[in-house]
Amino acid sequence: MNSEMISFLSFTNREVSRLLRVWKQTIVPPIITSLLYILIFGYSLGSKITSIGGVSYLEYIFPGLIMMGVISSSYSNTSSSLYISKFQGNIQEVLVAPMSYMSIIIALATGSLVRSTLVAIGTLIIGSLFAGLSIVNIAVIIYFLVASILLFAFAGILTGLWAESFDQMSVFATFVVTPLTYLGGVFYSIDMLPPFFRTISLLNPIYYIVDGFRYGFFGTTTSPLWISALVVFILTVFFFGTCVVLFKRGYRIRT
Amino acid sequence: MPTPAIHIKDLHKNYAELKAVKGISFDIKQGEFFALLGQNGAGKSTTINILTGLSNKTSGTVKIFNSDVSQNYQSARKRIGLVPQEFNMDKFEIVEKFLDFNAGYFGIAKEQRKIRITHVLKELGLENKRHSKILMLSGGMKRRLLIARALLHDPDILILDEPTAGVDVESRRSIWETMQRFNKAGKTILLTTHYIEEAEELADRVAIIHHGKIIKIDTKQNIMQQFGKDLVTLHFKSKISKVPSEIMGQKPTLGSDKSSLQFIFDHQKFKQKDLLQTITKSKAESFEISKAKLEDIFVELTKGESKK
Repeated sequence: MNSEMISFLSFTNREVSRLLRVWKQTIVPPIITSLLYILIFGYSLGSKITSIGGVSYLEYIFPGLIMMGVISSSYSNTSSSLYISKFQGNIQEVLVAPMSYMSIIIALATGSLVRSTLVAIGTLIIGSLFAGLSIVNIAVIIYFLVASILLFAFAGILTGLWAESFDQMSVFATFVVTPLTYLGGVFYSIDMLPPFFRTISLLNPIYYIVDGFRYGFFGTTTSPLWISALVVFILTVFFFGTCVVLFKRGYRIRT
Repeated sequence: MPTPAIHIKDLHKNYAELKAVKGISFDIKQGEFFALLGQNGAGKSTTINILTGLSNKTSGTVKIFNSDVSQNYQSARKRIGLVPQEFNMDKFEIVEKFLDFNAGYFGIAKEQRKIRITHVLKELGLENKRHSKILMLSGGMKRRLLIARALLHDPDILILDEPTAGVDVESRRSIWETMQRFNKAGKTILLTTHYIEEAEELADRVAIIHHGKIIKIDTKQNIMQQFGKDLVTLHFKSKISKVPSEIMGQKPTLGSDKSSLQFIFDHQKFKQKDLLQTITKSKAESFEISKAKLEDIFVELTKGESKK
């Protein structure tokens, strides 16, 4: 194994070890949140809605709930890991090491991949106790899962780089990620919206993530699958490229 | 001529309006123990940060064993072990795991990592702290752990930024011994400190940095020779009624006991043998010489330099 690979695996190991050390903060909360959504929206309110697209309301919202947990876990994993490393100063350990910027970015994102996958599996297990689960296309499910985790891992890295205070850390999550997630069609189909709001929803990238991911479970989409797949791919590549450029420049990590 | 371990040429670093480093140039030879002295804010840490990749330079050339720190940063960083001024560690981590991760960042294979961790923990007297949380270590132990981390990949250059700041005497001695052992093994050391006696005790060559400029760079002996002024005290049997003519030229002052004379011996103006002759001719009963300290020279050199 070459030294670059050893460096990458060591940093990945540290990231995974960090998130598993505090598993009660990193893995459990999004699963409990999803469970509460299932109970509140699925069981109580959901019983008033007959079906959407031929499936029960609880089944309909379930892929979106998985994605909500995945997105927030992925984003908060990289953003908080990087910000706390800056805050404690231990980001310097990797900055003085002979490790490429690419390895640092991918190792951070791999931490998100592990955390979000555990959250997705946990939510899937809990959810399957309450809702019948069908899988139409596993490849589509894996594509949207991995691409979304990476997309929000890179977005988290950008926030972690940019943030210089805990306040700034929460700004992007509160004012961008959370509203986009709730308005991304997790709890409803955009076909149910008036034309104006339907058009607005098409500008929300999370809509494409949820719509494409849902296809893997039910085989139906609101927008063409290839458009959703392309939007997620382009955004992931764009965020990754921005991370590489900023890391090379040492944006807010090098003085 | 062998490749210098560190080559710095016309290095500038600006932080917005502030010019932290103003065109410094110097080389550090392989195997040399080099001390960079300066007050807080003089530009010592900025220079070190540029060498190790923690700061981007504004302009100039910085090379580590001929590898440019910007263009060829991976080769350059492999050769350096950094002991930073701040405790930049994940305090909740276990010592062994912390060292294992860090050795991994430098590309050391798993089997080799165990051997290196045992070696550096022994070297720094931290064997019995292997399974402790970093949080539980004392300040001196944390400082030694930072050195252990820097030595993990057996670097050719050890850069220490104020390594003994705030540590007790025992830890300071232990840190000094580690630096000396490392240097004796042929490795290069760059030490920044504002404890002048530390540089006086350890370094071969000294550079004094002041307001971002190198104002003096030379071997410790040459600096002492050039700027050192020893205080000579001559003791006589009885009270002095008349200053002996042999030492009139030295402008002596009478001691409070009235039976001793003191004068400053300037190495720049006189030779050592002249001093001995003067003492012999003065017929003093005994004499003592207080050697000049690097600290006095440092104060002398920096007080005249205005902030430009």
